[in-house]
Amino acid sequence: MESVRHYAHQEVTQDPPVTPKQETDPGQRKKKKAYVPGLLLLLPILLFIFGFFVVPMLYILYLSFIYTDSPNATNAVFSLKNYILFFTDSYYLSSLWITVKVSLYTVLVSLLLGYPVALTMAKSSPRIRGYIALLIAAPLLVSIVVRNFGWYLLLLPNGTINSILTSLGIIDSPLKLLFSEIGVVIGLSNAYLPFMILAIATSLYNIDPSLERASAILGASPLRSFFSVTLPLSLPGIISGCVLVFSMSMSAYVTPALMGGANVPMMPVVAYDQINNLLRWTFGSALSYVLLATTMIMVTVFTRGFEKSKFREVFR
Amino acid sequence: MKTTGKLRLIFTILTIIYILVPLLVVIPASFTSASYPSFPPQGFSFQWYTKLLERPEFVTALINSAKFAFMAAFFAVIFGTLGALAIAKYDIPGKAYITSLLTSPLSVPQLVLGVALLIYFTPLMLAGTGTGFLIAHIIICIPYVIRLVLTGLSGFDYNLERAAAILGASPLTIFWKVTLPLIRPAIISGGLFAFLISFDNVTVSLFMVSPDMRTLPIEIFSHMQDAYDPLVASVSSVVIFISVILIVILEKLQGVGKVFGGTH
Repeated sequence: MESVRHYAHQEVTQDPPVTPKQETDPGQRKKKKAYVPGLLLLLPILLFIFGFFVVPMLYILYLSFIYTDSPNATNAVFSLKNYILFFTDSYYLSSLWITVKVSLYTVLVSLLLGYPVALTMAKSSPRIRGYIALLIAAPLLVSIVVRNFGWYLLLLPNGTINSILTSLGIIDSPLKLLFSEIGVVIGLSNAYLPFMILAIATSLYNIDPSLERASAILGASPLRSFFSVTLPLSLPGIISGCVLVFSMSMSAYVTPALMGGANVPMMPVVAYDQINNLLRWTFGSALSYVLLATTMIMVTVFTRGFEKSKFREVFR
Repeated sequence: MKTTGKLRLIFTILTIIYILVPLLVVIPASFTSASYPSFPPQGFSFQWYTKLLERPEFVTALINSAKFAFMAAFFAVIFGTLGALAIAKYDIPGKAYITSLLTSPLSVPQLVLGVALLIYFTPLMLAGTGTGFLIAHIIICIPYVIRLVLTGLSGFDYNLERAAAILGASPLTIFWKVTLPLIRPAIISGGLFAFLISFDNVTVSLFMVSPDMRTLPIEIFSHMQDAYDPLVASVSSVVIFISVILIVILEKLQGVGKVFGGTH
């Protein structure tokens, strides 16, 4: 379930971590006990996360600075060589570029398809809203491999879409949908669109409906109200949706591997190859951190850029 | 306004179909009588389901998936529920940081997590073992359990616990008779969710599996890479079937949309 995991990205950008409501009732405040028993309850999970998540992550960060020519070489040296190798080789650089490009297309497609759906959700009754949420979120719980197989059937050269387009006379020869960037963008946007919709919908729910009414009373056309009231106020949702979809696309492995193959060597596919097939662990570790860092830098630039824009007041 | 509303509704329905289409295509394709997968299917037969039963690797993989998903959910629920209770109930210093730390495995790309765990597990002799696989899956499940149980606890009325304490119940009795029953739906949702996350996982699992221990999504993934036959359609339909059952239960308990942070 490649797609679901990244829900926590929202934490960075949108939701504060889920913490229980602050108790305002003075009687309730007493339930906050000394924290020693609490720490005991936390101990197993903290040790587990620390031992099997924090330490391994730091370990490969360290390894990424170790350079060896071959997996079994003993001439390991502490250097920046893995990173230098990455940034001086056109194959790896183009892989990074493809990853960024495909991810940006995926964000764009998800945003264009997702916004109207989020708007419909915001304008519907809670019941309908619940049904839409179920229909768009439930597929996230079915393995990405299965969803990609569905696209396989549709996008093959003699698959459903090509046969329809040919029989309608729109195209003469089959389009190369599978094993191309188009195929990967379709697969990724299909997988991550629900996150975009839910992120935007959440910010739309929070808009005070009287604002739109006020703009209508003051004579704004529905289109004008949308562009001057609703859209700017939903920007936080748009941004968190874009950040979410972008970071998920950057690190997706299954979809590029199945639907792009060797034609679309995105970073995760290249990194997997380095680690599992070529056993170049230290270089693979460096690739992983290049991927992480690129995602973080792009997300920061994007978010900052928006904060500095004329919609800044929205973020207060 | 009316026409834009109608247009938007049509657009919404089309987009929902776009989201669902890969799943809607797979099930009919599994009933094909042809030897290659296609949509619409050629003819009708159950042959790819009977052939599936003749393939021990898929059956073993299904059993493995279910077994490991169950164990991963079990441990994630125990660790996660204890952790969430501690966060919700006690004044622990740096609570917000601890919560972020516990949900942080979600913010790290699964590929990177897979790389890190494989490299870390190798010298520990855990790479390619069931234990290593289980640990990796518990790590990816924990954030969901934490999140769901914390949400379940957010409306919790601690007066009930205090009332039980005043009436003389021991802390353990309070936990079993008061706290646990009240947060049970959240715990069950967390467990179901963890099960599905583990059951469907590919990316982290790819680094953790060994040739003699594979899970169903991994088996489908590698089958898709080297063979292209309707067997993938029938086994995928089985996965969809299992997922749908669990999703229905989850929806009744918690609301699937809510789990992903969408609706109120």
